[in-house]
Amino acid sequence: MADRAKFISIVTTGLGRDQIVAPSADSATAGFDDAAVAKANADSAMADANSRSTELADQMATMADTNGWKVHRTSNPEDAADLVAKICEEKNAKSVLRSTHEVLNQIGVDTAVANTGASLGITQHDGDNSAELVDASKSAAFTADIGITGVDYAIAETGTVVLHPRSGLSRLVSLAPPTHIAVLRPGEVLDSLDELFAMERNDFMSGNLAGSMNLISGPSKTADIEGTTVTGIHGPLEVHLIILGEA
Amino acid sequence: MKPITANFRSKAAQTLNNAQIQESIEHVYTGFFKGRLTAASDTPEWEDLRTKGKAIKDHTIAHLDYYLDLLATNVEKNGGSVFFADDAEEARQHIIDLAHKRDIKTVIKSKSMVSEEMGLEKAMNAEGFETVETDLGEYIIQLANETPYHLIAPAVHKSREDVAKLLDDDFKEGDRVPDATELTMMARKKLRGVFERADMSVTGVNFAVAESGSIALVTNEGNGRMSTTVPRVHVAVMGMEKIVPSIQDLSTMLRILIRSATGQRISTYVTMVNEARKSDEEEGPEEFHLVIMNNGRQNLLEDPQMRESLNCIRCGACLNACPVYRKVGGHAYGWVYPGPIGAIVSPVLTGVKDASNLPSASSLCGACHDACPVKINIPRMLLELRWRTAEGSTDKSERASSAKERGVWKMWRMGMMGRKRFDMGARLAGLALRPLSRNGWLKKAPPPISGWTSTRDFPSISSGSLRSKLSKRLGRSK
Repeated sequence: MADRAKFISIVTTGLGRDQIVAPSADSATAGFDDAAVAKANADSAMADANSRSTELADQMATMADTNGWKVHRTSNPEDAADLVAKICEEKNAKSVLRSTHEVLNQIGVDTAVANTGASLGITQHDGDNSAELVDASKSAAFTADIGITGVDYAIAETGTVVLHPRSGLSRLVSLAPPTHIAVLRPGEVLDSLDELFAMERNDFMSGNLAGSMNLISGPSKTADIEGTTVTGIHGPLEVHLIILGEA
Repeated sequence: MKPITANFRSKAAQTLNNAQIQESIEHVYTGFFKGRLTAASDTPEWEDLRTKGKAIKDHTIAHLDYYLDLLATNVEKNGGSVFFADDAEEARQHIIDLAHKRDIKTVIKSKSMVSEEMGLEKAMNAEGFETVETDLGEYIIQLANETPYHLIAPAVHKSREDVAKLLDDDFKEGDRVPDATELTMMARKKLRGVFERADMSVTGVNFAVAESGSIALVTNEGNGRMSTTVPRVHVAVMGMEKIVPSIQDLSTMLRILIRSATGQRISTYVTMVNEARKSDEEEGPEEFHLVIMNNGRQNLLEDPQMRESLNCIRCGACLNACPVYRKVGGHAYGWVYPGPIGAIVSPVLTGVKDASNLPSASSLCGACHDACPVKINIPRMLLELRWRTAEGSTDKSERASSAKERGVWKMWRMGMMGRKRFDMGARLAGLALRPLSRNGWLKKAPPPISGWTSTRDFPSISSGSLRSKLSKRLGRSK
């Protein structure tokens, strides 16, 4: 087995040095910004998301549409619940999964789904991660017809929904079911990838980085056969984005 | 994967004579090349982004030892394991041993060119593991028992009919050829079953973040997400150059990578993995392993003329822009990396002598340099390699030119350097070639001139030199 020290020493030699030299601060990378700078960047990203929430929601709607999200905008929570119910009925959904995102309670997703006759599950098992429960969680996701989540952030530049998987937000709920519905609240839309990664870096510098992160920009796609774009290869075939707030 | 770079000419000829492949690889131009141009022109800060991307990579490669050490420390801090592999063999064996130790049955692979360097899929299948490629293009290539044709579109040379024959067990010659959607849905169904039972995944790494020990994966299909979610063991493999220092550097790198690869503003999925499943998560791998491979890259690093090639982020833009790649196709290059970038890294990673045709497979038009998101000066390196293989290399075994070839050029040089010798040479060449010419063109000639005339015509040599004709016209005696 190659030894780490030996491997790295070959690289050091390749660089024409005889020992590792820590780089001096270089504006090329953000890696030299300290925690205070990281926090200031994150604060300014969040302040921007709040002060420009309407404009950013508009841009999000446009860009999400370009990416293949089916975008719905409503200022009324009941309308949002009706939309969810309508999608469940259209898809003839028997089994629906949801995350614990608070916004789903606010719009009353549980009642809306229950009224369509579909079963509704929450994939959360309170820290008990026995192999049986993990398997049960997987098979629930693979057999579900629809997965419903909120968003942790969205990105206006790219029409992207950002999710940090955690207890109550399974990795598969937005991936395995053929339909995914994401519900977005005003103030959750960041301007661009720069703001997102500024937030992530601040989380990292303050010891709060999530275990993983998914950026989702439309339905699963491929163009591997004759360059023809087809939606729905491994992930959802159809994705809906419900944007709450004034349109 | 064993390099067959020496077969460039015959492989290229095969592709040039295959009308179906010629038609299929046009997609890289009409789709990816034009898509990139549009994406770049829709991005006002495009040139700034390229400059930033280059600066990030230049900085990282200049301190690669430091960042490798930092990356490994942080992956381990996050609970993952790191394996440093000097070569493909070591990396492959490590992954196979790990799979045996964990009693793995089904391995899903998410697109990774580094795993192609290892020949991992074939080796794992031979060890008795069910090993399945999950990127649709890679899956098609696996079924066809071929190697990828393009960095991001592995099956771009396949027609729908080819794919139907591979995917649809009931497809017979003469049947209606299913459309791309139908074929994709067949693959979805087959691969869903594989995802559900997979217990190990091997993914590539688009970027590894040194400061946090994270990896970022870019996919459109969602196989990257499946691979980092369903199996209990996740192994990520990377070439040692694929590092960025900071999480915050990802916004620049993702922007240039994705636009340059497919012309999209963003791919459908970007997945960042910082650690294996947290204890309160519903699902996710129990273990995360990172394999960092050298496999000859130190040759690129220690060579000041070639080091810049380690900035490559494997977007494939230089392939799409290259008029030679678009005609000779991906298999002609004979190893994992085709196109202009392949023509500079393959010779150095696999041996310059056999790969000596690759740096010549270019018109030096510079389209690859213009297309590169991190501004790698590929034409400069192609010229450097041409010079080395012709005469410059101090290692004589790297010189691909024959004694005969060098002798001919020596004579040419002598002839060109004296008035009388030049005149006599020109007269002799005219005398020798005129009988072979028809209607002012030389189309067929015996060796060694056949090397030229087999691919292009040569105007027949005039009966008198320009100098003698001018002298005559001006009424001067010689």
